[in-house]
Amino acid sequence: MPAAYPLPAVPERSPRIASYTIAARLDEGEHALLGRLLLEWRNTSETAVAELPFHLYWNAFRNNLSSSARGDGPRAARFRMDRDFGETRPTRVTLVGPPDVDLTPGLRYVDADGDNPDDRTVAIVPLPRPIPPGEGARLRIEWTSRIPYGAVGRAGWIHDYFFVVQWFPKVGVLMKDGTWKAHAFHSTTEFFSDYGNYDVRLTVPERYVVGATGRQTDSTPNADGTKTLRFVQEDVHDFAWTACPRFLERRTRFESAGYPPVEIRLLLMPEHASLEQRYLDATALALRAYGAWSTPYPYFQVTVVDPAWYSASGGMEYPTLFTGGAHLWSPPDLLSPEGVTVHEAGHQFWYGLVANDEFEEAWLDEGINQYFEDRTLDLAYGPAAFGVRYFGGKDQRDRRRGIPVIAPGVFTRRGDEDRRDLRRYGRQDPLVRRAWEYQTKDSYYLNAYSKPALVFATLEGLLGADVMDRVWRTYARRFRFAHPTSADLIATVNEVTGQDWGWFFDQTFHSSALCDYAASVKQEESRVPRGFVDDRFVSLAAPKPEGAPKAWDAEVTFERRGEVRLPVDVRIEFEGGRILHDTWDGRDTFKRYAFRAGAKVRRAMVDAEGKLALDVDRSNNVWRDEDGIARRAALKWSARYLFWLQTLLELHTVLG
Amino acid sequence: MIEALRAGVQAAWRLRALVALLLASNLAAAGLLAVPLALVLERDLTSRGAAPHLVEGFDYDWWLRFSNDCDFGTSFGPEMLGAGFAFRNVDLLLRGELPGRLFSNEDAAPSGAEPLVLGLGAAYLLLQATLAGGILAALRAPRGGFALRAFAHACGLYLGPIARVTLLALALDAFVFLLDLPLAAWCDSRARESLTEATALAWSFGRHAALLAALLAVHVLSGYAKALVVLEDRRSASLALLSALGFVLGRVRLVAGHFLAIGLLGLALLATFVAADGLLPVTGYRTQLLAFALMQSFVALRIALRLALAGGQLHLLRRLR
Repeated sequence: MPAAYPLPAVPERSPRIASYTIAARLDEGEHALLGRLLLEWRNTSETAVAELPFHLYWNAFRNNLSSSARGDGPRAARFRMDRDFGETRPTRVTLVGPPDVDLTPGLRYVDADGDNPDDRTVAIVPLPRPIPPGEGARLRIEWTSRIPYGAVGRAGWIHDYFFVVQWFPKVGVLMKDGTWKAHAFHSTTEFFSDYGNYDVRLTVPERYVVGATGRQTDSTPNADGTKTLRFVQEDVHDFAWTACPRFLERRTRFESAGYPPVEIRLLLMPEHASLEQRYLDATALALRAYGAWSTPYPYFQVTVVDPAWYSASGGMEYPTLFTGGAHLWSPPDLLSPEGVTVHEAGHQFWYGLVANDEFEEAWLDEGINQYFEDRTLDLAYGPAAFGVRYFGGKDQRDRRRGIPVIAPGVFTRRGDEDRRDLRRYGRQDPLVRRAWEYQTKDSYYLNAYSKPALVFATLEGLLGADVMDRVWRTYARRFRFAHPTSADLIATVNEVTGQDWGWFFDQTFHSSALCDYAASVKQEESRVPRGFVDDRFVSLAAPKPEGAPKAWDAEVTFERRGEVRLPVDVRIEFEGGRILHDTWDGRDTFKRYAFRAGAKVRRAMVDAEGKLALDVDRSNNVWRDEDGIARRAALKWSARYLFWLQTLLELHTVLG
Repeated sequence: MIEALRAGVQAAWRLRALVALLLASNLAAAGLLAVPLALVLERDLTSRGAAPHLVEGFDYDWWLRFSNDCDFGTSFGPEMLGAGFAFRNVDLLLRGELPGRLFSNEDAAPSGAEPLVLGLGAAYLLLQATLAGGILAALRAPRGGFALRAFAHACGLYLGPIARVTLLALALDAFVFLLDLPLAAWCDSRARESLTEATALAWSFGRHAALLAALLAVHVLSGYAKALVVLEDRRSASLALLSALGFVLGRVRLVAGHFLAIGLLGLALLATFVAADGLLPVTGYRTQLLAFALMQSFVALRIALRLALAGGQLHLLRRLR
């Protein structure tokens, strides 16, 4: 790395390509929205634009033919009852003049990804005349929405809890070359949109507590028992809001030297009141850690939402607002809600501030964020405990609820479960793939979250934490508000390190190959010469003097069992304390060290410091001279298993 | 009730040798799977870096790999530590996995216990049904210790009717699980529709508690029926069950109170074990032996409580019929 590598300047404001002024009214009884928006859009490409594509996300819930409904995964649209259906229906689209031009007749739904003509989550609005580069347009859109039930997807209502996201017709993203990014909404995809300013007026029943993107500037009571709240936020790429009369509201202020102050507003379900401080502390932790490792959070406030029971809205991120998720019984050792809070707060720095295309490169946001979350939790809390919940049934994502039972002395460390998933699903797909094109939903989750987190942890191991932080800071500053791609990230790594790391990303991003190094040793007492030695037959050498140390012949083999070739440290420890360190480039399938008439090998280790987080089987990284410890461990744990079986068998006497 | 409790506990104490025999049978049965697991574990850990971690504590990363790669011993996992084993066992019971996945709902998610374990459980249930006649006959004797020949004789003598009572009780259990299906679906839908998580949990806990109570009621009924078989030399299992039902319904509070008292003793035993287990760091062979002794004491006392329950039931039948 160059000695004094300068960090790029942080842009103060976004390009403000798509700005919205919205007025919407919530019909609580009908679970409906009536909305009107004014979109001010600029053509920043190099070609004229003749039509505008709009996302109408809630049409994923319009019927069981949508791409989301045909898909798989916990966020896929599913329909058990009438209430599960939802839709966004534009009723009038006008190009604001003068003169105003009604564009409604030309609006048509398109099969955006060429795989489902029944999907209506993207609509095209043709323009009467192309918009040249550098110019803009103002469109007024009126629409009605039926809000889907909130047990699936991300948005929706449950009882008196409304979580309203991806709720207005939103224009796609125009690339410099004049191509549009406006994909259909699939079951595993998230979002992508341009930055702008939002000025939103929401009319809701008077008793509701409302949380939203941005800062609230106004609250006006209306004669019909409603109130209209105004929220304003500059330089964001989406707007989300939530309303519920049961929310408890808590506020605190994040202040720390070197960081701009941030108002943290927590909207909490009353039954989770005891988790207030844990939510707030975890949010502050994320603001501090992510801010230190990338660039501080620039907005005035962040709103944390504790979702209602059985709502699928938990664990999601929106500009300056995110949702956590908690259990009634949340022992601190299980780090819930801390884990989800740090993760979703962390999205503010990547999804929120650099905003890559989550349809096409989900890992660039989720993966970086997962890596940061793991790092933050590891640093602040240490490993999480292992626990299982009993007798509380399942939640909407099929996770167990109920009494938490913690296994004493068992801890899940950074990357443990990611490596398990990599072992299971790692060969299905290369990491780089569009989110809806992975073989399975498991492969999507692996490649969007777990594998990139391991890739970045491995890169950190190879570069060192300081250089890695320099990479993140450079990336976060240079690409703030800029929609970076994987190529931009790789270019940043190359630039900061002054080396070409293409070989690394080729094996990890663009391949489904796995990484596995192993150590093994064969050794025996040095042989007493018998047979021909120096053309002379020797039947037996002179006996060794009494008390002389035994000599050993040893072959230490380090193997590369996976296809991924990474440089790796090897270490051999001998009896008497001698240690041999070496670095192996990992190009061949093995590296062997032979020792004759030397000290006994006590341990042989490959990647002893655990730099290669991608190594799918760390249990074979260490060979140790067997001294009965394996038997001791086997006896200890089989005795515990024996005891469990004994109690299980005895329980059978309750039956029959 | 106190008298029945005392009589039962005294009988269990008197029959310490029988407790030891039952513990040996339990240990031998469990050993059928635990010994192979020990060999598999040793083979997996030989010369591996995870071995010292597992001696000092638990290596989660290693276990994730082991449980994924190893066909045998998939039910070996950290959820059996601490009080977890008890929760896991009751969870398996309420999922209908015991015995031999006989009552499980086909649509239910896998429980994590492999067929070998569940099959062994079914075999153990048969073994206990075979031994029940001998156990009850030994408890029936007013005094004296345990004689193996008399025990074996009584096992054979009462095997037929007791096996039939066991089968009828299993049929009743099947009926309970059948009734539980719509109840569980209804409670789960109520839980999903609840306004708060607390209400949802109340529905879920309620339905699990109801199922457990129904299974325990069948267990109590079956216990009295088996006691009647031995006490009154009954040959008809169905009539013994009907008589037991009449006896229980006539003294619901007494019978339930007695069972509850034994249950509370069981919970106290569990709490004591968990506390003692938590205080004992297991690293070397000596601490392993101590832990093994602690675990076997727990199982022996659990068996003694089973005998105390049966002894108390015999006492109540003798006094009140």
